[in-house]
Amino acid sequence: MTATAALVAALALLAVLAAVNYRQRKQNQSLRGQLEAAAAELQHLQTACSRLAPAGVVQRLVSDRSVTGEAAVAERKVVTALFADLAGYTAMSERLEPAALAQVLNGYFQRMSDAIHDNRGHVSTFLGDGILAYFGALQPNPWQCDDAVNAALAMQKSMREYNVELAREGLPALAVGIGIHRGPGLAGLVGSRQRMEYAFVGRTVNLAARVQTLTRVHRQDILVTEALRAEIDARFELAPMPPEIVKGIDEPVVTYAVRARAETPGAAR
Amino acid sequence: MPTALESIDWESCLLEHHSDRALESYARKKMGLPSPTIGYFAPVPWLARAQVDLQPTYGLLMRLDPDVVDLVALVVSQENACRFCFAAVRALLWAQGMSRARIRELEHDLTRADLPTRTVAAMAFGRSQSRSGPSEARAANDALSRAGFGADERRELVFAVASMDFLNRVHTIPAIPVRPVERIPDQLHIRLMRPLIARIMRSHRRVGRAAPMDRAPSHPYTRLLGAYDGSPIAPALGRTLDDMWASPHLTRRCKLLMLAVIGRGLSCEACATEVGAALRAEGLDGDALGRILTRLDGPELDPVERIVVSFARETIWYEPATLQRRARGLRERLSPQQLLEAIGVAALGNGLCRMGGMVLDAA
Repeated sequence: MTATAALVAALALLAVLAAVNYRQRKQNQSLRGQLEAAAAELQHLQTACSRLAPAGVVQRLVSDRSVTGEAAVAERKVVTALFADLAGYTAMSERLEPAALAQVLNGYFQRMSDAIHDNRGHVSTFLGDGILAYFGALQPNPWQCDDAVNAALAMQKSMREYNVELAREGLPALAVGIGIHRGPGLAGLVGSRQRMEYAFVGRTVNLAARVQTLTRVHRQDILVTEALRAEIDARFELAPMPPEIVKGIDEPVVTYAVRARAETPGAAR
Repeated sequence: MPTALESIDWESCLLEHHSDRALESYARKKMGLPSPTIGYFAPVPWLARAQVDLQPTYGLLMRLDPDVVDLVALVVSQENACRFCFAAVRALLWAQGMSRARIRELEHDLTRADLPTRTVAAMAFGRSQSRSGPSEARAANDALSRAGFGADERRELVFAVASMDFLNRVHTIPAIPVRPVERIPDQLHIRLMRPLIARIMRSHRRVGRAAPMDRAPSHPYTRLLGAYDGSPIAPALGRTLDDMWASPHLTRRCKLLMLAVIGRGLSCEACATEVGAALRAEGLDGDALGRILTRLDGPELDPVERIVVSFARETIWYEPATLQRRARGLRERLSPQQLLEAIGVAALGNGLCRMGGMVLDAA
């Protein structure tokens, strides 16, 4: 009787232990699942963030546990800034339904971003229907000036192709005006505690934006400054434009229209 | 076991696998295990052998802890977005006994995973040298000194990082298939053989012994090899360079031009000086070289040189899928051997210039 009771007690104890063990394993499994889901979510978040700021900056922020960014991710650099703006958008926006307009705009942004990216540029921000991109901001790039002008020519070509598609759908043609300048500035994460962005701050960006406004004055698609002209490949066919006063700059700004790029190596301007 | 890089786009492989028993046996003899990828590189033997000969933990390091080097390899592969090498290093860590949970912890938060200060400093240096190049890795190099790394250890670390920069490009540019290596820890037979694999690896990984160079280093990179005099790194790297120069698929001038472009992109003064001198010896004057390096083109270049000079700059900073698509575009313009050799020269150049920028320019 005593032996049976002991056996039953032992079996009961074993059953309890097995149940506890089972429950613990289930709990561990659930916790592991949660941990993996959290890790996957973090990875997804990091991937999403890399669309908003350069991957290196995101990685540094994550690894530095920095909330505000601040000085650790800002540095002085010489960068080439490209500023592009859409002509014909206002007229189109009055004609189209919001959904169709958004579709046209997204098509434009995608094509322009691809042209910039293919030429090693980085789209910093979309400003209304404008695009601000940098060359040489994320990594050292001794060929940044040629890359920027090649990107501008690729954007122009892509715009022509897009206009064929728009015409097929009965939509009016768009045109893009592009200003490019090269110079020093501060590259890094800037902004407030609530909102930060990777940006390049300084006169270089302002001048690129002003030069872009001159594309309408001179009726040209692509304009570059004297600082850029001095650096780019002689195979780019340039035409000098009359100097113009622009807002915020004391001296008249000399610009050159970019027409094309000759294919023969060593062709001189 | 999904890896942190599985979301990285990866094109289909550009190369064909060739079975080459001599090369396979060479890899097995040196590392104890078969190399699943060496056959892809068989048409250019120096490149296939370099992937075995330049593995730091197989007798090239005299001072650095191999466990630290493994973690640095993980960081550098992550930084270079090399899915193949990242999965391979994870598999290696797992095979050596590291748990999956620990590997996951390391890859999600490498710098905060309760690691010793020295290990963290070494990993930060690896990340910096690969991400920003030598010009911006100097602060991380100073941090290594503060963490107690001596000059010889730092030089070894520079080589270990450069070696991963080389291997990452060798596997990324031709898009070597990643799924088989990513699946290694999930395969039952591999899991069963894990203790045996760990044992084989331990028996083949070894500390390096002081080794004189077989012969005086040939120009260029004389100074770089000289900086490693006495270390087994110098003869191993010297042999790889000699084999690379002797390989017939691209001309010596073509290879030098690729190295010059990479040196310019990474601002390695020491490499620029020596490679420039070697190009002058090949009959290219300084002005012409200056023009070529500024424009990545010039009337002095022959058709193959024009192609590989542009390609070389693509390998300095890149996104894998973009670079793989550009490399694919070269298949119609270069022979398979030329393409493979161009990949090898570009990959080696990226490692060498990162080494030169740290070891020579910073000195």
